[in-house]
Amino acid sequence: MFDKRLVIVAGKGGVGKSAVAAGLAIAAHREGRKVLAISMVGTGGGLASHLGSQPLEFAPFEVQPGLHASMVDRSKALLEYLQIQVGLPPFVAFGPIARAFDALASAAPALREILTMGKVLYEVRRQEWDLVVADGPPTGQIGSFLRAPKSITELVSTGRLREQAAWMGDLLANPEESTLVVVTIPEELPTSETEETLAWLNREQVVDDVRVVANRVLPRLEVDGVPGGRAGEAATLHIHIQAEQRRWLDRLPPTAMLPYLFGIRTPAEVASLLADEMERW
Amino acid sequence: MTKPILITGGGGVGKTTVSAALGVVAAKAGVRTLVVTVDPARRLADALGVEELGTEPVPHAELPNLWAAMLDASASWSAIARRHADPTVADRLVDNAFFQAATNHFPASQSYAAAEEAATFIDARAWELVIVDTPPSAGGIEFFTAPSQMTDLVGGRLLRWMTGGRLPGRRFFFDRTARPALRIADQVLGAGLFEAVAEFLMDLRTTYDGVARRSREIESHLKKATTVVVTTADPSPLREAVRFFRELPGVAARPSAVVFNRTLPEEWIDARPGRVSAEIAENLRRWGRESARQLEFRTEFANRYRTQLTTIPWKQDSPTDLDSLEDLVTSAEGFDLTELLRT
Repeated sequence: MFDKRLVIVAGKGGVGKSAVAAGLAIAAHREGRKVLAISMVGTGGGLASHLGSQPLEFAPFEVQPGLHASMVDRSKALLEYLQIQVGLPPFVAFGPIARAFDALASAAPALREILTMGKVLYEVRRQEWDLVVADGPPTGQIGSFLRAPKSITELVSTGRLREQAAWMGDLLANPEESTLVVVTIPEELPTSETEETLAWLNREQVVDDVRVVANRVLPRLEVDGVPGGRAGEAATLHIHIQAEQRRWLDRLPPTAMLPYLFGIRTPAEVASLLADEMERW
Repeated sequence: MTKPILITGGGGVGKTTVSAALGVVAAKAGVRTLVVTVDPARRLADALGVEELGTEPVPHAELPNLWAAMLDASASWSAIARRHADPTVADRLVDNAFFQAATNHFPASQSYAAAEEAATFIDARAWELVIVDTPPSAGGIEFFTAPSQMTDLVGGRLLRWMTGGRLPGRRFFFDRTARPALRIADQVLGAGLFEAVAEFLMDLRTTYDGVARRSREIESHLKKATTVVVTTADPSPLREAVRFFRELPGVAARPSAVVFNRTLPEEWIDARPGRVSAEIAENLRRWGRESARQLEFRTEFANRYRTQLTTIPWKQDSPTDLDSLEDLVTSAEGFDLTELLRT
């Protein structure tokens, strides 16, 4: 996975998506790759805390030598798009056109999402990083982001936006360059949501290389009869939850698993321990 | 009078389960209760006695005071269009490519539809208690800001920019000489896109009066409702829970209680394993560490936000029937949630 140019991490809310994204960025960085970790939705608070970083900004900054982080701000992404990719001079880009586009992008869904996807893919394309790890949207919305280039191609027949959409779609679909990691936990709702996401990906064929990572998996507990007392209570709870987890893991066999981390307090510790695990993959 | 209770919180913390459990306890106490939920887990839907999404409220076969309704969040946009636009416009909206693209992609619409539906049930005065489980896509405070976001969207920032505030005629959009910016937009976006979006927004604009009026009604319901925040002692749901205290004033009441779900026994912290195998002893130690972490996070939250805490123990099995749902509330410790159920 670390040999790719882009890894997008998606997952249902609460499964540890940002922690896994940060872990991947840290693991790749430890292997000596120049990495950008970029948050696609919201302010990137989750990604920042897992990287042990100050709040993220639109411009990438160095968290550690060789490990950079940033977030997508849609309005700024729009200005960058109009200047760099469309080639409008700044005075035009900042004027009424920008206002029109900004309003348009807030109302027209495919446009809004292609600006975000476009910013991430642009970072991949400009050859500044060995690997871009994107902390993506929740699985409920991932479809609209991944499909944005395709939607634009369907909605628009000519123009520069359509040309952009074409290379974006190609880059996403190329298994040599792009991977989608769907993070899940072995519980009912995350499992069914992951199954729905995989079925959707199978139909739409927008990303070729898709991996499922199961997070918070309990280790096996070898017991020869459960004793009484607190130790017995803890063993009983563990065995029950682990058996339940097994059920969901059997229904959706993941590509890789990450362990439940007991008693870990800070997000940065979590990401670092997940990175330790990933280095063993 | 109908008393509304809103169950909110981040994803994956057991909001729906807590909503259902409170509904069961209220209904068993003789309160005519409706639980409104969005897309629950299969087993929980079975426990509530509802079979499919989008159903009207149905009473539970064994507990007739307990009613449940499941909202189909994906049908939300078309429902909004059909409710607030005239039939021909609604047909055109639903067929519009942008409308279809928007259907699943504007999270506020799901929240808005859920809030609108919940308000309808509250207004119906058919139940003494209406417990609303907020949609998974926006379990956070987005649920409370959805009405105003929705009003903004259909009110049309783009339309206002293009028209200077007047509701334009259709012909206006095709007049390139009047609007040089539109010519550049066409070059970049491709011909036709601008018109398609404009047409979509103009049709959507016709729903404005309806949506704006309804939004105000919904907001007044949300402000008056009792709010319960559900969380686990994990950092990301806690971040979401904090927002209810920092960002909610103005759009909702201060949360009446914070429920920490999946709580481990404090007795496990530093407990002596006794004469057991090394593996079982190590298992107690790691769960003890986890319990200590939970306690620390809980205490910090309670001290900082000075709120009533309820803990629900981490159950071996997720509840699948009325009794196991009721057991969640009866085995809870701390602030007594049943106080909130009095009507």
